[in-house]
Amino acid sequence: MFDRDLWAEIFHSIKKNKLRTFLTGFSVAWGIFILVLLLASVNGMKNGFTQQFNDDATNSIFISPSVTTKPYEGFEAGRRIKFTNDDLKYIQGNFEEEVEYITPRFRKGVTAKYKKETGSYQVRAVYPDHKHIEKTIMDAGRYINSNDVDKKLKVAVIGKMIKADLFPDEDPIGKTFIMNNSTYQIVGVFSDKGNEREERIIYVPVTTMQRLYKNTDEINQIVLTYNPKYSYAEAINFSDVLEVVLKRRHKVAPDDQGAIYVNNNAEGFSDVSNFTTMLTFVSVGVGLLILLAGIVGIGNILVFIIKERTKEIGIRKALGAKPSQVVNLVLLESIFITTLSGAGGMLFAMGLVSLIAKVIPKSPAFADPSVNITTVIIAGVILVVAGVLAGLVPAIRAASVKPIVALRAD
Amino acid sequence: MIRIENLHKSYPIGKDSLHVLKGLDLHIKEGEFVSIMGSSGSGKSTLLNIVGLLDGHDEGNYYLNGQLIEDLNEKKAAILRNKFLGFVFQSFNLISYKTAQENVALPLYYKGVGRKERLKIASEYLDKVGLLPWEHHLPNELSGGQKQRVAIARALATSPKVILADEPTGALDSSTTDSVMDLLKGINDEGMTVFVITHEEEVAEQTDRVVRLKDGVIISDELTESGKSKMLQNVR
Repeated sequence: MFDRDLWAEIFHSIKKNKLRTFLTGFSVAWGIFILVLLLASVNGMKNGFTQQFNDDATNSIFISPSVTTKPYEGFEAGRRIKFTNDDLKYIQGNFEEEVEYITPRFRKGVTAKYKKETGSYQVRAVYPDHKHIEKTIMDAGRYINSNDVDKKLKVAVIGKMIKADLFPDEDPIGKTFIMNNSTYQIVGVFSDKGNEREERIIYVPVTTMQRLYKNTDEINQIVLTYNPKYSYAEAINFSDVLEVVLKRRHKVAPDDQGAIYVNNNAEGFSDVSNFTTMLTFVSVGVGLLILLAGIVGIGNILVFIIKERTKEIGIRKALGAKPSQVVNLVLLESIFITTLSGAGGMLFAMGLVSLIAKVIPKSPAFADPSVNITTVIIAGVILVVAGVLAGLVPAIRAASVKPIVALRAD
Repeated sequence: MIRIENLHKSYPIGKDSLHVLKGLDLHIKEGEFVSIMGSSGSGKSTLLNIVGLLDGHDEGNYYLNGQLIEDLNEKKAAILRNKFLGFVFQSFNLISYKTAQENVALPLYYKGVGRKERLKIASEYLDKVGLLPWEHHLPNELSGGQKQRVAIARALATSPKVILADEPTGALDSSTTDSVMDLLKGINDEGMTVFVITHEEEVAEQTDRVVRLKDGVIISDELTESGKSKMLQNVR
């Protein structure tokens, strides 16, 4: 294997037979190249879909009140349902096991002012838990904490787009600004993976906001995440139970489809998981077929090469080459070519993939195309091994050819 | 050097078998210059293949350098070929992508001689056949006679016991035929056993002993003029 003369023979033969080397190498490199591109694109699509849902925690449930569509217990249809702090406390108190994080959302549009800059934004009044449900990323400072909620402090956390609007050249942390005639202190700046609209939101403690609006106890939405250990079925069951109890509390007909909306992310996420799993299966299947095509291609070329070299092998044998030396010569040459060009095709494809990742903007359909290196290496090894196996048969046949047949004057 | 006793060889053709060699007895001593004459189909190529350890035989005994050849597998045959035999073929059979020097060095590679050493030996033998200036040329840059001389240098490189030449002049014109035969004669004069297979009378006449083969049997085995004079010299 590490016989210097054998390698010298191999390099010599590679150097002197450029077309043959190119044909073999190209089919291997091409197979790997296509495979890497395919896997990377599928990964890109997968990442795109997943990111859409990764904006929020995948185990989140959004509960929103709306308007009844059926008369029930003496109430007429068309009654507006309102959630209050009591609804939240009820869920907190009765589903301790089931709930991971929970927060109310109380929404208001505001005009915010700092020095000469003004802008219209949405305020979301929340609990500290909201940070985990929305997957808010803190760029600077801190999020709302329970002290803020308990003491109803006028503190705010602003999105980074608001920082860009109101504090283009300043560090907003610790500064005060005005929202609808009240003064708030900024304690943090955040960013969000979802989209820019999510970064034009101001978070304040829900208690502070409610006090400012005539001490109301109304909330617009309840958002929570269920126990992350739950299976899909358990998660769906839990949101069904929530719907039933909330309908009972608000005297809504059990079959009223409109009054209370419970959106369980598990449903949508399960669809996407199924889809991406399917996509992976399909791509692995197609990838294997491409590998197979590559293997057949290599096998074909090797058969052709051996045929072409029959006479040379016969000469070598007449001059005293042992059969094993002939097999070694032919196989090591093809292993060398396939490995090297396989690696080349791989590098080229991965370079192209990282270029594509930079050039093509992230979109819901395509993001961060990348490829699992282990997968590619395994595929490469399979390709080389299979290529060698494909070459082994003709190599052995060539080695067993009687020199007299190979040397017959023609 | 080569002793053959009652040698038989058949080739299967479909259900039947073709009996090619029908009990040959032949003894070639060290230093002899022998030619086997015969038309095509006489069995002379089969005889060369068996003597050259490129093919096995069915019946009879074959001794090469005093060693009985039996139970020959590929590996063993390869070693014996490399050690005892040097081949010269009608179609030269040089490896097209190797230079003259590398072609001559190839059997030394299979003998296990180091690279520097074998290239040096190769150059010496190319010098011997008068082709040193062409040592870095590829076969297709050489004439037919030059190619055959490279092949002879290659056959000599491992200092074998016997040179086996299969129609060495079959692809050459008459003047190059003479120069190649002169070269073989010179090698024989240095003591090498040379075994030539041919169907040309002129070639056979230049050897010392002619064995005529017809339909798988030896029909005559006699000394040529040069063979007789050599014999006389030895007697004196």
